[in-house]
Amino acid sequence: MELRYYIVRRLLVLIPTILGLTLLIFILMRSLPTTYLIAPYTAGAKTTAAKALDTATAIKLLGLNYPVPVQYLDYLNNLLHGNWGYMAAGGGYTGSVLTLIGLYLPNTAQLAIGATVLSIIVAIPLGTYIGARPNSVADQSGRIFSLFGYAMPAFWLALLLQIIFGAKSVGGAPWQIFPITGVYPESVLIHTPAWMANGTSYPTHIFILDALLNGDPSAAWGGFMHIVLPVLALTYGILAGILRFIRAGMVDAANQEYVKTARAKGVNEKLVIKRHVRRNALIPTITVMGLLFAGLLGGVVLIEKVFAYPGIGLLTVNSALPTLQIYGIAGTTLIFGLLLVSANLVVDIVYAFVDPRIRY
Amino acid sequence: MLVEDKLVENEEAVYLRVENLSTKFFTSKGIVKAIDNLSFEIRKGEIFGLVGESGCGKSVTALSVMDLIQDPPGRITHGKIYIDNFNIIGDLDRLAKIDVRSETDVRIKRNKRMIKRHNEILSKIRGDKIAMIFQEPFLAMNPVMRIGEQISESILLHNRIDIANSIIRRENIDRGKSDSFIEYLETIKGTERALKEINVWTREYGVPDAELKIIELSRSALSINEKKEKMYELLLAEKRGVNLQAVFEEREYFKDREKLLELNMEMTGYEEKNDEVNARRVGEEIKELRRGMTGRNISFLLKQKLMKKQYERPFLQEARRRTLELLKLVNIAGAERVIDSYPHEMSGGMLQRAMIAMALASNPKMLIADEPTTALDVTTQAQILELIKNLNTVTDSAVLFITHDLAVIAEMCQRVGVMYAGNLVESAPVEIIFSNMKHPYTIGLMASVPRADKKRDKAMKLESIPGAVPNLISPPTGCRFHPRCKFKMDICSEKKPKLVEIEKDHKVACFLYSNEVEEN
Amino acid sequence: MDANVFAAKGGEKKRNPGLDNFITTMKLFVKTRIAFVGMIITLIYFLIALLDAVYPQYLGVTNLSSMLAFLHGQSVSASAQPIAPTTVGGWYYWLGTTEYNIPIFPSILASLKYDLGSSLLIVALGAATGVIIGTIAGYFGGLLDEIVMRITDIFFSIPFLVFAIAMAVILSRVLPSGSSIDVIIALTIIWWPIYARLSRGNALTIKSLKFVEAATASGSSRMRNVFVHVMPNVLSAVFVQFSLDLGSIVQIFAGLDFIGFHIGGVFFPELGNLLNIGQPYLAQPYLNLTTGQVLSSTIWWPIVIPGIFLLIFTVAINLMGDGLRDVLDPKLRR
Repeated sequence: MELRYYIVRRLLVLIPTILGLTLLIFILMRSLPTTYLIAPYTAGAKTTAAKALDTATAIKLLGLNYPVPVQYLDYLNNLLHGNWGYMAAGGGYTGSVLTLIGLYLPNTAQLAIGATVLSIIVAIPLGTYIGARPNSVADQSGRIFSLFGYAMPAFWLALLLQIIFGAKSVGGAPWQIFPITGVYPESVLIHTPAWMANGTSYPTHIFILDALLNGDPSAAWGGFMHIVLPVLALTYGILAGILRFIRAGMVDAANQEYVKTARAKGVNEKLVIKRHVRRNALIPTITVMGLLFAGLLGGVVLIEKVFAYPGIGLLTVNSALPTLQIYGIAGTTLIFGLLLVSANLVVDIVYAFVDPRIRY
Repeated sequence: MLVEDKLVENEEAVYLRVENLSTKFFTSKGIVKAIDNLSFEIRKGEIFGLVGESGCGKSVTALSVMDLIQDPPGRITHGKIYIDNFNIIGDLDRLAKIDVRSETDVRIKRNKRMIKRHNEILSKIRGDKIAMIFQEPFLAMNPVMRIGEQISESILLHNRIDIANSIIRRENIDRGKSDSFIEYLETIKGTERALKEINVWTREYGVPDAELKIIELSRSALSINEKKEKMYELLLAEKRGVNLQAVFEEREYFKDREKLLELNMEMTGYEEKNDEVNARRVGEEIKELRRGMTGRNISFLLKQKLMKKQYERPFLQEARRRTLELLKLVNIAGAERVIDSYPHEMSGGMLQRAMIAMALASNPKMLIADEPTTALDVTTQAQILELIKNLNTVTDSAVLFITHDLAVIAEMCQRVGVMYAGNLVESAPVEIIFSNMKHPYTIGLMASVPRADKKRDKAMKLESIPGAVPNLISPPTGCRFHPRCKFKMDICSEKKPKLVEIEKDHKVACFLYSNEVEEN
Repeated sequence: MDANVFAAKGGEKKRNPGLDNFITTMKLFVKTRIAFVGMIITLIYFLIALLDAVYPQYLGVTNLSSMLAFLHGQSVSASAQPIAPTTVGGWYYWLGTTEYNIPIFPSILASLKYDLGSSLLIVALGAATGVIIGTIAGYFGGLLDEIVMRITDIFFSIPFLVFAIAMAVILSRVLPSGSSIDVIIALTIIWWPIYARLSRGNALTIKSLKFVEAATASGSSRMRNVFVHVMPNVLSAVFVQFSLDLGSIVQIFAGLDFIGFHIGGVFFPELGNLLNIGQPYLAQPYLNLTTGQVLSSTIWWPIVIPGIFLLIFTVAINLMGDGLRDVLDPKLRR
């Protein structure tokens, strides 16, 4: 079957899953006492232009009088129209949930992209090297590395990185230069650069990317310094997982008959590894990527908390504690779900692209 | 089937000679003596069958001949394997030192450099001088590579210089050569012969697509000069304007590699004979060559990677054309589609044919077929066997056919070797193996096969050989068959019988026929 | 016909379910020294937790605020700065203190029973639920299987931690009981799909094996098939997953506490809590209180030390789980 049909089929399967997701979130939301649902509206959490509502009006507005299934449809309708509710957690965490997500998502994207890119760049050559030499010193070291990757609590690693490499207020070794909080470099906090204030020249909202696009390398560098430690903390876990898989995949593939055939044809060892073993080894690895992305998204929450990094992870935490902001939780859970589902979709498509046997 | 009497006086008539081959596997449970002092030979163009029960070492023999034994846990520990008169395993002691302290405690010290060199030489031989096809086509082909890719891979590994030459000749057509060929064609009577000549010439000069036009032209009624003109025009039209410089560079690179390999092989030969002087001389030559190569290499390899269109494309095109030809040669219908298909899209029979095509890609003079039809159904089996027989006739390449099926042996082979527990117990022309077998095991084997042609009394039942196949970690002493042998004598459990020729071309290893003992 | 035939010859045991197999498994396991060490360490941790649960008075700690009360009777006064490890005598202060001079070492020991106990409970409940649902779904197939698959799909579409936060926070407002149970319930609800999928997959493979057909042919009912024939064979994979999950759950549990769930209260002895109260000290330099001299640029031990104890546990349990997996995988039984 052609790749195109496979993609269409996968997209179709997606829809019930997403609907199921919204249903789940809706159920969780509605199982709460209604006070939580009404609170953000009565407390005047909306933008300053509007005023706080009284309870009766709020109930009517939210349609809480209607039967529950209707409420669900209403909820879906709201989602599609961009009405994801309001939250009031103080500071930069007050206002329309969707707007807040839009504000903080690019920052998390920065971390995610950095971690994914770093993992892939390191994992593939390293994994190939280790996988081609099972039971060697390199292999054992790789195993220890992976072991610690699984065992190390991500947030503790983040803290550790802060201790070892973070900039200190007083004293501090020469390698302790990385900032341990926030996303914007000091220069930007003091004085917002022109390209940031102006909407059009700030296209992706991903700070480092936009800084580079606007020819502001010092700001980009500052932003980069801010993500080094968080990205390292995130990457370690992912790397450990991928490495393990690539190694297992390589050993598995190397034992297959067709490798013997390749050697029998006269292909030299290096090419055998590169062309025959690795290609087949990377296939199961791709499936793990989906799983690891899930871990990435989960890890983001803890790490953003440790680094006080304003992304959607921190948004989630602030929606939960100390006071519960239900629309915030619903919104962030939904967004995380959508992100994960899309990532899995991409992984499946790449998998079908690489392994022709799957397309049927 | 008539037994062709191939005279073996001339050593040149033997393509594969295995001498005292021993292969062992060093496992945690002990040393498996899979092959023990095995010797046999296969002559050019003959189909030799190797038959025996499961576990007798046939496959290990096949893998050993190509030195494909997985190390660890296995190693060829002793012997010589001459392919086209070159000992491919060389001096085993130089490759690794094996220290056996006990059955379960073995230390192996490998000389990495020598092994690397050894493997380089092997890469040249495998696929080119000797090729192998395997039992399960679906497992033996890479599932994520298209068939065409896999076959082309084989072609491009061993024939680059050849392809480069034909490309160069095509682009630089020589009027003189084209003229003299047309003149030559005039002298040939008979279309068939002419076609053959044209076939060979067009491929050598890189214009295979012009085959039909040339035959038409040569059979036409034009004058010789007109023909020469037309021929030249034809050839000019075939030019594809490739970057000749690139092709030249590629050819030089591969020529260097080939030269290097030849020198390495030479050096291995001298080292084996302990000819220090010559070995050192060749070593110097190699160093010289390497020095000259490095600079050229790097720039070439870079260009090859970056400017694929110019450097790789013409070769890939030619490889694809050859692949199509190969697929047609093995009777695959719809070769155009198959070439871009994946293994899982094909049937077992077709895939096995494709594997045969892949093996024949570089015209090896010997093919090893390891139970190629065991995994196929009976009708397909017949087709594949037919194919192999035909190819053997057409290409005159020898075949080492491994099977446990006596019927197939009878059908296919000219000479047969019978293996038991890692030893060759009997070898003879096929007729003799079936009608005048000598070794007790062979006798038992034949008797246990149901046959429609022999008359049987109602009292006669199908005989089976009592006992079981021995454990190869601790095989029986002396003759490995003695615990199951009806004709066992005292000496059989003490000494091992040597494989001796008891009549013309018929060898047996049994004390019933000879007193010769095998020395270790 | 490959070399493996030769390597395997010579008495490789056939796989029979039952006691024989178990003993062989244990023997092989002990042979893998590293995994064995992992198991020992894990057992030590559980032993400490168990002892503390049964005899809490030796540590004198039921929660950290009672520890504060206990401390006021001590000679060490609550200073403005945590005490560094090994600077003050007595086993209590061997690893230093954290906020309010809460000694780290006893707190860690006290926290083990909560961390390990809760994790064990979560994984056990999740596994039990998941295995039953999954095996039944896998064996019976059809609509039931589809539904279970869809539900697990949906559960898997949300990253664990995010789901855990959402679930825990909502449950705490919905259920009347104390917050620690909420987290445990939340994590159990999130965890069972893993086991459901795992056992479903295995059940699918096993149900098409001949011996199940044979059992049905000799009169075994379908439910009986599930419990007597299919499930035991699923269990070895579940076993491995279980031991690895213990390591993961402890981390998630501590993580939740760290973010601010403060299960049991801010000063409850729990590793995550300890890390949470230790975090502010990262940015603070360690001073000699009399001279004002900077002895170290950070106060690192409130974070590093509890973390190390957690790390040792998770490493040990992973080693054990890995060892178990290697031992139970027939392909590697060389």
